[in-house]
Amino acid sequence: METIKNALDFSDSPRIDLTIAGLVALFLLVFPIFPHSAFAMATMIQFLMFSLYGMGWNTIGGYGGQVDLGKAQYVGIGAYTTAVMLIRWDVPFWISMPIGMCFAVIWSFIIGYPLFRLKGHYFAIATIATTLVLKDIFEVWDFVGAARGLEISPIKYIPPDFLRLIFKQDVYYYYVILGFFFLGILYVNWFRRSRLGFQLRSIKDNEDVAQSLGINVHWAKVKTYAIATAFVSLVGSFHACYIKNIEPEDTMSLDLSILIALMAMLGGAGSLWGPIIGAGILIPCKSYLKEWLGAQVGLVGIDLIIYAGIIMVISAFEPRGIWGIVEKVRRRKRS
Amino acid sequence: MALLEIHGLIKDFGGLRANDDISITMERGELVGLIGPNGAGKTTLFNCVSGLHPVTSGRVMFDGQDITDLKAHEVARLGLARTFQVYVASGDLNVEENVMVGCFMRTRSPSRARARANEILKDLNLHDLSEFRVSELTVAAQKRVTMATALGSDPKLLLLDEVAAGLNPSEIEEIMADIRHVHEDMGVTVMLIEHVMELVMKVSDRVIVLDSGKKIAEGDPETIVEDPRVIKAYLGERYVREHGGDIG
Repeated sequence: METIKNALDFSDSPRIDLTIAGLVALFLLVFPIFPHSAFAMATMIQFLMFSLYGMGWNTIGGYGGQVDLGKAQYVGIGAYTTAVMLIRWDVPFWISMPIGMCFAVIWSFIIGYPLFRLKGHYFAIATIATTLVLKDIFEVWDFVGAARGLEISPIKYIPPDFLRLIFKQDVYYYYVILGFFFLGILYVNWFRRSRLGFQLRSIKDNEDVAQSLGINVHWAKVKTYAIATAFVSLVGSFHACYIKNIEPEDTMSLDLSILIALMAMLGGAGSLWGPIIGAGILIPCKSYLKEWLGAQVGLVGIDLIIYAGIIMVISAFEPRGIWGIVEKVRRRKRS
Repeated sequence: MALLEIHGLIKDFGGLRANDDISITMERGELVGLIGPNGAGKTTLFNCVSGLHPVTSGRVMFDGQDITDLKAHEVARLGLARTFQVYVASGDLNVEENVMVGCFMRTRSPSRARARANEILKDLNLHDLSEFRVSELTVAAQKRVTMATALGSDPKLLLLDEVAAGLNPSEIEEIMADIRHVHEDMGVTVMLIEHVMELVMKVSDRVIVLDSGKKIAEGDPETIVEDPRVIKAYLGERYVREHGGDIG
C-alpha cells in the first residue's frame, strides 16, 4: 500500500512543476484528437519511446551515476524476443514482452555482475563492447534472421489486434506507449524515494561512505542495472510491433545506446523530469533535422554532429543538464 | 565480553607497514580517544576495522563475532558505524535524505526511515538544516551531519574520524556536546580519532596513542599527557609546557 501511495505522491515537486506536468499530460492525452500529420504522430510516438528509454537509463545512469552506453543491447533483446515469438509461434505481445524482459534482465545480470567491478570510463567502455559483441552475434544468427533481420507482416493479422499489438493506425500505438509512459513516471517517482533509490544516490556521492552505511554497493548497482534493462526491453518489444521490421543495425546500434544516454543527460540525469525534457527536445530535433537538412541539402549525418555538440556543451557547462540549470536558478532565487 | 577486540592487527601497503601489531580492547559504553601524529596509522586502523581495507594479519572481533574478513557493508550491518575525515556530500541529497540513507540500513520503508532521521536530527539540534544540501553547510554542520548519518543505522560502536578538525573553538564545544550526548544519552560506544587535544582529553575515558603504526601508549588522559614516549612522539614539549598538569 505504501508503495502505491509513494508512487502517486508528487508533493515534493513545486506546484509550478506539477501544473506544467499536468498540462503536458493533458496535451498528450488529447493530442490525437487534433488534426495532425502522420509525421507528427510518428514523432510523438518516438518521443514517448525515448522518454521511457531515458527513464530507464536514468535509474542507473542518473541516480546511480554509472554511465551506461550499452542500453541498445537490451532494446534488441526485447525486440527480437517479441518478433521471433510472434512470427514463429504466434505468441501475443503481452506474453512475449514480459518474457523478453526476463531474458534481458538475465542477460543484464550476466553482463552487470562482472562489469560493475569496473568504474567510471572503464565501465562505460565495457558496456559499449558487450553491445557490439551481441550485435555481431545477432548479425550472423540465422534463427533470428541474421543481418537481414525480421519482418512482421501485417497482412497475416486482422488489425486492430490488441493482443499482438498489430494496428493499421498509429493512434493505437500512441495510446499504448502513452500508458507505459505514465506507468514509467509513476515507477521512477516511487523508485527515487525507495530504499534502493536512496542507496544509489549515496553510492553516486561516495562509495566508501555508502558501504559504511551498510549498502552492498555492487549488488545495488547490479539490481538497478536490471531495472533499467527492464524498461528498455519493454520499449524494445513495443518497437518490434510498431516498426514491424527489425534488424541488428537499428535495434542494437551504438547510435541508439548513445541517444538513450543523451536523452537523460541533456534533460537532467538524476531527476524525475529530466529524461522527458531531454526526449522532448532531442526527438523533434532529430526527426525534423533528418527530414529537412538530411534529405534536402544532402547533409546526411548532421544530427550526429549536433549530438556531439550537445554532449560537449553539457559536460562543459552543466553536467546536470537542463534540469540542473532550472534548479540552479531556483536555488539562487531562494537564497 | 568486550565489544571490540583487535588482536595483533598488521596492515601493509606494499613495503610500508601502516599498522604494526596493534591490539586494542574496548568495553561496551567506553569512549576511547585515538591520537598520534599524522601518518601514525589511525585512519588505516579505522579502515581495517570497518572492513574497507583487508588486513594483512591479525583478527578483529566485534560483539563476539569475527569480522576480520567481512566486507564493509556487512560490518556496518552488525552495528559498527563510522564517519570519514574528508567527506563533502556533493550530490543531490539534502541533510534529511542523507541521514535517511543511514536509517535505511534498518528499515525498508521510506516513511519509517524519514521518521527516524527526523528524530536523530532533532536530537542533535540539526532539524533546522534538514532542507539544505550538505555542500551548502558550514564545515562544522557537515561534520555533525555525517555523525547523524552514521547514527541513523543505530550503531553499537561509532568510529569518529577527526570530527573536530578545522572547527573554531565554539564549534568544537558544540561537537563535544554532541559526542557526549551520543555517548551518554544514546548509549553508543565511541572511538574517536582527533587532533584537537582539548577535545580528546576532555571527553575520553581512555586514550590510545599510535606512532609510526605501533601502539606506544594507552591509559587515562592524565597519565597519557605525562608519558614521556607520548610527549616525544606527538604532543611536543611545548604543549606540555603550556598546559602543564591541568588537562582533563
